[in-house]
Amino acid sequence: MIILKSISKQYSRDSFSLKDINLHIKAGEFVSLVGQSGTGKTTLVKLIIAEEKINRGKIEIGGWDITDISNKDIPLLRRQIGVIFQDFKLLGKKTVAENIAFALEVAGDNKKRINKIVPKVLDVVGLGHKKYSYPHELSGGEKQRVAIARSLVHAPKILVADEPTGNLDTLNTEEIMEILKKINDFGTTVLLVTHNRDIVNRLKKRVITIYDGKIISDEESGKYRL
Amino acid sequence: MKNLENIVYNKKNMGIFRIIKFAFQDIFRNFSLSFMTVLILVLMLLSVNTLIIVRIITDKSISVVRDQIDVSIYFSPEADEEQIIEIRDYISSFPEITKQTFFSSDQVLENFKNSYVNNEEIMMSLEELGENPLGPTLVVKTRDPKDYKKIILALDIPEYRDIIEAKTFDDTEIAIEKISNVTGQLERFTYFLTALFGLIAFVIIFNTIRVAIYTQRIEIGIKKLVGATNWYVKGPYIIEALFFSILSIFLAFLVILVSISFFDNYLVVIFSTPNLLTNYYNLNIMNLVLFQFLSVFLLTSLSSLFAMSKYLKK
Repeated sequence: MIILKSISKQYSRDSFSLKDINLHIKAGEFVSLVGQSGTGKTTLVKLIIAEEKINRGKIEIGGWDITDISNKDIPLLRRQIGVIFQDFKLLGKKTVAENIAFALEVAGDNKKRINKIVPKVLDVVGLGHKKYSYPHELSGGEKQRVAIARSLVHAPKILVADEPTGNLDTLNTEEIMEILKKINDFGTTVLLVTHNRDIVNRLKKRVITIYDGKIISDEESGKYRL
Repeated sequence: MKNLENIVYNKKNMGIFRIIKFAFQDIFRNFSLSFMTVLILVLMLLSVNTLIIVRIITDKSISVVRDQIDVSIYFSPEADEEQIIEIRDYISSFPEITKQTFFSSDQVLENFKNSYVNNEEIMMSLEELGENPLGPTLVVKTRDPKDYKKIILALDIPEYRDIIEAKTFDDTEIAIEKISNVTGQLERFTYFLTALFGLIAFVIIFNTIRVAIYTQRIEIGIKKLVGATNWYVKGPYIIEALFFSILSIFLAFLVILVSISFFDNYLVVIFSTPNLLTNYYNLNIMNLVLFQFLSVFLLTSLSSLFAMSKYLKK
């Protein structure tokens, strides 16, 4: 589903953010990408959603070579990958339902389909009763659940979660992880970027560890080793 | 090669109506920002129109001063009618002449008497003479005070020397030149002010829009992250620029039209021309509105697009 072949990314001539990364994530996998701050985890996410371009190597997402993706095709790619972030990235002036609907509207979905999908994904994350609330009226956990709901509207084959629990307390962290596991159970490939040791250890899923821009370990049922 | 199996891209529903809906949502949900933007646009339009009004008043003042200037050509009492007609025809052939008024010897004498009706000595001298000592007079007005010299030089030929007794130009030449200089400088000053106001308006509007876009840079980034195309992000801002332009033009002209009818009451006392400003605005309203609307719309929309460009790159 996600194939990275010998990719490197450098922002300046002297330092590499990612160096010679080779990675193959299969469809339906739940993979945790761990590592300390500044080791290149978020850069990897940015490359997968084409927010940044690689300097060397090749990236394939779902069979689509996005190494030299055109600006015109980037929106198409992003509609196919669900992404959630630590800071939720919700539109502050739109309600919960509007935030979710927006992802469908930009893709050109009609109103009938939008009215059908939005309540469904809100039910998945248990926020059906908050659809008219604005983000500032929600707790951190609720905001993240809205972000997850938004990422699910296109029924993506891949969900990338960049530190989704970084701003949440233990209870909300548990809830978010349960939702991510549920999404994975439905067949969606989940790439979880985190430095939360407990989460990774309890998942008992594949763990990839990055250190200084390189993959230093890749274990099928791994633990947080740093 | 694109794969991802389920790429669905339905362009049919990427319509303008959705863009308009987002634009109006943004306008009303960011009400204070929208209000400030419209307020600044209205203030700039009022400033520009104040300058237009200043120009109308300046132009009127200049034309009033120029209207006061004329040149009188005094014919000799011995000049016969044929010679006078020849000179009048000759003067009429100059395109610079806007008006010429002829006074016969009798009219000149009548005017003279009226002017000195209280001066007994002059009145007695006239009676002693027993005949009209004054010849006919031709009063000439030109488009520009500078043209008087040309007319006077044209008349300064030997054939007319015995017919034309005097010309007032020699006395008023310096005054005419001064007035020409002052009015010319005033015109240049108003052009300079117009350019300066235009530049200030441009800088203020451009920066107002930049600040407005800057406050929404995070939202622009989020829209891009969830798969919005650049057009989908830009579209609402262009619609907002259109709405702000229409609203600010409407409000500014409402204030201007009410104000000029008020000022006209005072200007009529100075210039004896009723509805000076109102007539100008009534006559040019379409051009004024269209030009100012297009300027504001282009400025706001292009400023938006320019300010947004760096947030749309990712």
